[in-house]
Amino acid sequence: MKFCTDNNGYKRWSLRTILPMGFFFFLLGWSLIDLNISPKLFWEGIPHFFKLTEEMFPPNWEVLWRGKILWSILETLAMAFVGTFLGAMGAFLFALLAARNVSPSKMVREIAKRLLAAERSIPPLIYILLLVVVIGLGPFAGMIVIALGTIGMLGKLFAEAMETIDPKPLDSLESVGATKLQVIRYAILPQVIPSLIANTLYRFDINLRVALFLGVVGGGGIGVDLQMAMSLFRYADALAITVVTLVVIWMAERISDYFRRKVIGQELLQ
Amino acid sequence: MKRYFKYLLPAGVFFLLLWGGMVVCRADPLGLLKGIPRGIELIGHMVPPAWGKIPDLLRPALETVQVAFVGTCLGAFLSFIIGLIAARNMHSVPILRDVARSLLSAERALPDLIVMLFFVAIVGLGAFPGVMALMASSIGMLGKLFADAIEEIDPKPIEALEAIGATKIQVIQYGVLPQVLPAMVAHTLYRFEVNIRMSILLGVVGAGGIGFNLVTSIRLMRYQEAMAIILIILILVTFSEKISDLLRKIMIGKEVLR
Repeated sequence: MKFCTDNNGYKRWSLRTILPMGFFFFLLGWSLIDLNISPKLFWEGIPHFFKLTEEMFPPNWEVLWRGKILWSILETLAMAFVGTFLGAMGAFLFALLAARNVSPSKMVREIAKRLLAAERSIPPLIYILLLVVVIGLGPFAGMIVIALGTIGMLGKLFAEAMETIDPKPLDSLESVGATKLQVIRYAILPQVIPSLIANTLYRFDINLRVALFLGVVGGGGIGVDLQMAMSLFRYADALAITVVTLVVIWMAERISDYFRRKVIGQELLQ
Repeated sequence: MKRYFKYLLPAGVFFLLLWGGMVVCRADPLGLLKGIPRGIELIGHMVPPAWGKIPDLLRPALETVQVAFVGTCLGAFLSFIIGLIAARNMHSVPILRDVARSLLSAERALPDLIVMLFFVAIVGLGAFPGVMALMASSIGMLGKLFADAIEEIDPKPIEALEAIGATKIQVIQYGVLPQVLPAMVAHTLYRFEVNIRMSILLGVVGAGGIGFNLVTSIRLMRYQEAMAIILIILILVTFSEKISDLLRKIMIGKEVLR
């Protein structure tokens, strides 16, 4: 182990390695006891698992045609899609303010960076619970939460992409007196567009999962149907919903994959 | 203008989709504007946070951290074993390797919510399904990263160990582990940050912890209590990031081997 190699002259099992390791195992053991977790629980779960699978099969496909399940799936997809792209647009504007080489002033840049960092550290659960109080239940609230979460993450990535561009086109455009907008359009955009699109599509994959979760806490979409089916012990319904959701998510990911491949390695807007 | 023509169709389709999505989501910018005064009112109800409730909240907060910690540790441990099986250079049975690889990618494709709901259905409410769910969802990502790290190691120490007749376990202990430990620790710490957030969410689907308190306090319109919980959650998230950053620096900083 890295901790006990002795080629630096340390003793193999010195206090430096035993102390942190001991502390770690103490924490782990204490947490396990405190949470009442024992292998017994695991063994007891196995018969439950078989009972559950028995109740799940065969999946009740009929549930898909009842109660707007397919519409809910569409809501989840739409939430993720619109949220991602609105968020990406917001993130682009923020990145223009936060990137070192484009930002109008040092102050603005600091503020934009701080805002993005604060935004990233707030979990979506908090946004959605508060937004539901303010604008009511439904996919619109979910969409806004996804857009907000996307701004935090993509804003940072976009700003980093802008900071690493080749400065020569920027300098030459500025030296011939191009306006700020022209600089952005002709010097920055062509260089960063592939990475922007790739990151946005990647974020879309993540947001699909977030959208699924937001349903449970009032953000609309299929999440709540799935949780209802589970908590009402309608496991055959739950399995049918799960399978369809997984297929839809899988297809959406393939599509985003396809576009990502198309964009990377090919310069758009040249 | 002519050079923009070929982008007209894709852009049109894209904006049509965006508009359609907004219709499906019943997007309502006016409603959002109307929500602003209500949002300000809500914030008014939330301050000052109910400081008096904080002692009662420490227990669920601790549980959230413990669930994330145990789930990450168990997940990392299992991921290492699966990573060993899945790594190409560890000479495990080829069929086992393919099975491990495809199980890992199937697990990654499974949304965490579904994993959580299934574990809650199997083992009931409480901390145990939370730990199991975090463990299972950590394995997909960590198992793959560990397997990749193991595949990238320098083969020389392993060949040397094998040549002098070391057992499989000795090869792993002296040849593999020292090389992959820094990467493994870094990935595991990163996963811990993710799992803290997930552990907060777990409360919502009924696996205990501080997330449950947040949802109930907002449903019961106890907004001052909710504010106190939000502050605790923000502290948990920030601290877990800081601690994991610090540990990562310590561990990777003193890279003893090579």
